[in-house]
Amino acid sequence: MFTNTLFLLSAALTLGGAVAVVYSQNLMHACIYLLASFFGVAGLYACIGADFLAATQLVVYAGGVVILMLFAIMLTGGTGNNINRYGLEKIAAMGNKKTYFFAGFTAIITSLILLKIIANILRVETSAVLTPNLPTVERIGTVLATDHILAFEISSVMLLGALIGAAVISRPRKERHD
Amino acid sequence: MDYTFWTIAPIVLLPFFAFVINAFIVKKFTKTAVAISTGSIFVSFLFALRIFFDFMNVYSVGYHIHKVFSWFNLTTGSQVFDVKMGIYIDNMTSVMLLMVTGAATLIHVFSTWYMHDDPRFGRFFVYMSLFTSAMLGLVLSDNLLSVFIFWELMGFCSYSLIGFYYEKEGAGNASMKAFMTTRVGDVFFLLGILAIWSVVGNVTFVDIYNAIAAGKFAGLTISIFSIGVPVATLAAFSIFMGTMGKSAQVPLQVWLPDAMWGPTPCSALIHAATMVAAGVYLSLRMYPLMELGNLTTFISYVGAITAFGAATIALIQTDIKAVLAYSTISQLGYMVIGIGVGSYNASFMHLITHAVFKACLFLSAGSVIHSIHCQEMPQMGGLRKKLPYTFFAMLLCCFAIAGVPFFSGFVSKDRILGDALVMAFNNPVYIPVALLGFGGALLTAFYMFRMLFLTFFGEPRDHHIYDHAHQEHIGWNSNVPLLILSLFTLGLFYSGSFTGQGEVNLFGSRNEWFSTLIHKPDAESLHHFAEYKSEDFGLLDTREKENLPKAEYDVNHGMTEEVAHHVHYIHHVGAILSIVIAFAGIFLAYSMYIKKSISPDWWAESFVGWRKALQNKYYFDDLYIGKIIQKGLIPFNNFLAWFDMGIYDKYGVDGWAAVNRFAFNVSRWFDNTVIDSGMVDGTGWSVRAMNTVLRWVQSGKIQLYFIVLIVVLAGYVWKLSF
Amino acid sequence: MAQLLFLDQGKKDMINLGSYLGISFALFICGILVMIARKNIIAILLGIELILNASALNFAAYTKFTNGNIDGHIMSLFIIVTAAAEAAVGLGIVIRFFQLRESIHIDDAATLQN
Repeated sequence: MFTNTLFLLSAALTLGGAVAVVYSQNLMHACIYLLASFFGVAGLYACIGADFLAATQLVVYAGGVVILMLFAIMLTGGTGNNINRYGLEKIAAMGNKKTYFFAGFTAIITSLILLKIIANILRVETSAVLTPNLPTVERIGTVLATDHILAFEISSVMLLGALIGAAVISRPRKERHD
Repeated sequence: MDYTFWTIAPIVLLPFFAFVINAFIVKKFTKTAVAISTGSIFVSFLFALRIFFDFMNVYSVGYHIHKVFSWFNLTTGSQVFDVKMGIYIDNMTSVMLLMVTGAATLIHVFSTWYMHDDPRFGRFFVYMSLFTSAMLGLVLSDNLLSVFIFWELMGFCSYSLIGFYYEKEGAGNASMKAFMTTRVGDVFFLLGILAIWSVVGNVTFVDIYNAIAAGKFAGLTISIFSIGVPVATLAAFSIFMGTMGKSAQVPLQVWLPDAMWGPTPCSALIHAATMVAAGVYLSLRMYPLMELGNLTTFISYVGAITAFGAATIALIQTDIKAVLAYSTISQLGYMVIGIGVGSYNASFMHLITHAVFKACLFLSAGSVIHSIHCQEMPQMGGLRKKLPYTFFAMLLCCFAIAGVPFFSGFVSKDRILGDALVMAFNNPVYIPVALLGFGGALLTAFYMFRMLFLTFFGEPRDHHIYDHAHQEHIGWNSNVPLLILSLFTLGLFYSGSFTGQGEVNLFGSRNEWFSTLIHKPDAESLHHFAEYKSEDFGLLDTREKENLPKAEYDVNHGMTEEVAHHVHYIHHVGAILSIVIAFAGIFLAYSMYIKKSISPDWWAESFVGWRKALQNKYYFDDLYIGKIIQKGLIPFNNFLAWFDMGIYDKYGVDGWAAVNRFAFNVSRWFDNTVIDSGMVDGTGWSVRAMNTVLRWVQSGKIQLYFIVLIVVLAGYVWKLSF
Repeated sequence: MAQLLFLDQGKKDMINLGSYLGISFALFICGILVMIARKNIIAILLGIELILNASALNFAAYTKFTNGNIDGHIMSLFIIVTAAAEAAVGLGIVIRFFQLRESIHIDDAATLQN
């Protein structure tokens, strides 16, 4: 019963957050809704016994990525006037009727295709006996350090590269005066 | 002691990693690079010392370490093609390792002083590290293939070190000459490896020995110009050609005198520890094959001609380094004589003793050159007051190379000459070898002391140079390496007895370690190698060492008492003869250059023709450059050039041009009327039309791309799933 | 569709593969909508995060409802790692772009060269 409640709440939070991200006209609000959606996904992970994933989702997404996004929003919209030196609107619009039309069109095509694909799965009875929800941290650690050690190391190198790369890219450079 | 990766591999890998690291940091951190280079070779010296004492504290002939790993394995079914690499350490290797690392360490230390004001100070050490690691790898190799790899690596290093002062044209030419000349030998070496591989199916030393013991080579011939040549002879000759190139034997000796264009410490490394030693070492390793191929007479003749011929050329050289270079060729000739007359042990001993005293001689010469900035001996003289330590070291080395008793050169060279004399008594074919050998010994004593007297004795001949030389003080990296090396020119380190053959025992037969432990893998002892098993690299060592009881220090080397007595008798004759010869040579030099009772000019005037031949190094350079290259290769080149210009260019290229010109005129008409007015303008119009469409598509707007991507993907999935 | 809207709760447990796939499908569609409808680069990045979440959720759900081994969790983990790296680099690029152009409008980044 608790699991079902958690699942319903999480699903509602996830979907609501996602829809709110789509319809929100304020970037800051959209970001906060995204955070809500991430919390919901973490709850969904918890429902199927993926405790480590749920924790990682909270720590990395909610704690890291969204904060990073908020920082980026603040760094790019900090000044008072909204018109830049090219005479353009500095903070871009969140979209208009035309873009929503195209987006809706694409989304409908995509959803038709995807529904076509997952229809089989939805139709088939999932009668498999479900394994009980065991703690996964130990198993994940073992598998990460044995079978997936190469991918693990590569991803660590990639994270390091991304870190340095982000720092190098976003570093303010001296303007050339010519 | 356990032999694992961590106790053996650092010997090679430390200098190699020093090379890799230095190659990157040498420009900015020259001092650090030099320290890394010297330190790494010193640490590998410590490792080699450990192995040496492990092998030497127990007298065991068959003790060996053979570890292999599979390099690549392409075995399919019954077709076995498994290439293994590995290391092979026996008594000989352990001595060799100690010599190479020890000499290289001292040369490195000396170089920190000699090269310190050179603008390419650091780069020199980069090459030196690679050079040393290549030599160590060669010594540790268990098969001919990896020997060849390190062999070529050394060829490259000698090329870069000889051409170190590449601003000078001579240095560039000398490096090219060294590379090309040794390359002639290398090609033959590779052929020899292939010949052995085709018979044995493997090129490991142990497997080759086993194949020889099992008679795999027996009766195999190969047809060259419809003459049947035994494969064993072909392989032995090819490998010996490699030795001739690397160890500068006639007729491939021309590169070594020019190698002195490099910095003096690198000459010390090339002439003593690494490059030339590698050739003799290879021949020693392949001795059973040389014996099987009936090549020993040929080898001893090559060695004798080299030993004597180079000694005669050294007589008239005035450059101090040139004298040393020719003496190196001459001494290498003695080693090759030793291989030819079956004096395996003495030949290897001479390799070691020669490496020590020749390294010391070159370092001393470097010290002299560094002090007075001059290499010409006629401008020196009286330097013993200014350079006392260098003088002392050089004096000991000259005693050693001349063959004065109680010095290392006497022990090893006398044994080679004694064995040559034994062969000459048994077989008249070897009489010229023995004669040339003893003649060369006389000349060696003469020219070495001529060099010593001209440099250090008498009155200063050029006061300007003399006054500019600084008074020498003792310094840890300037003359301490010389003194350490000169200490090891004493014979007692190598032999317990006066002559190194067991007679006149001075220090007990236990100290006869060298001749006891280094054993000739001749036909009788080859079957031992069938028991030599290789082990996987990761395993710990499981072999037991057996201490040879004292009764088995076989001074007769397997000969019967009667034969041994005869041999000893001839050896006594040989020893007395070489002592007399050594002192005769020294006395001759003394009376010519100190007492001046015999005038060198008289000799020079009496033998003008000889002198001219000597000055031109027996016209070998003229033969190679004038005859082979200019008469042979350049006319061939010219013929090719003529074909290129006269035939191909004139008719082929120019004729094609004429055809093209006609076609061009036709096509110009077509171009103007049809293409330009009709098609080009039409293309422009159509492009403009397409543009309008494409400009919309390729807008750079990422979201449009995304929509297109999704729609295309959707269509694709739709097509697949319905 | 009935399962998607959770109308058949009585028949079986509502935590099943179908419901998870439905949620992930909805997340994915929302992500695509955001990516295409928005003109703000940061907002587009939000859409990308939604899509990545959808795929990670799919992996975890398949692990739970098919064979129960841990590989799907590993894959989700790597997706999260990749997403973190992508967010860092992407936002770095956005900030740099803002320094250069004083704009985060996606159509200002339409120049392919120069």
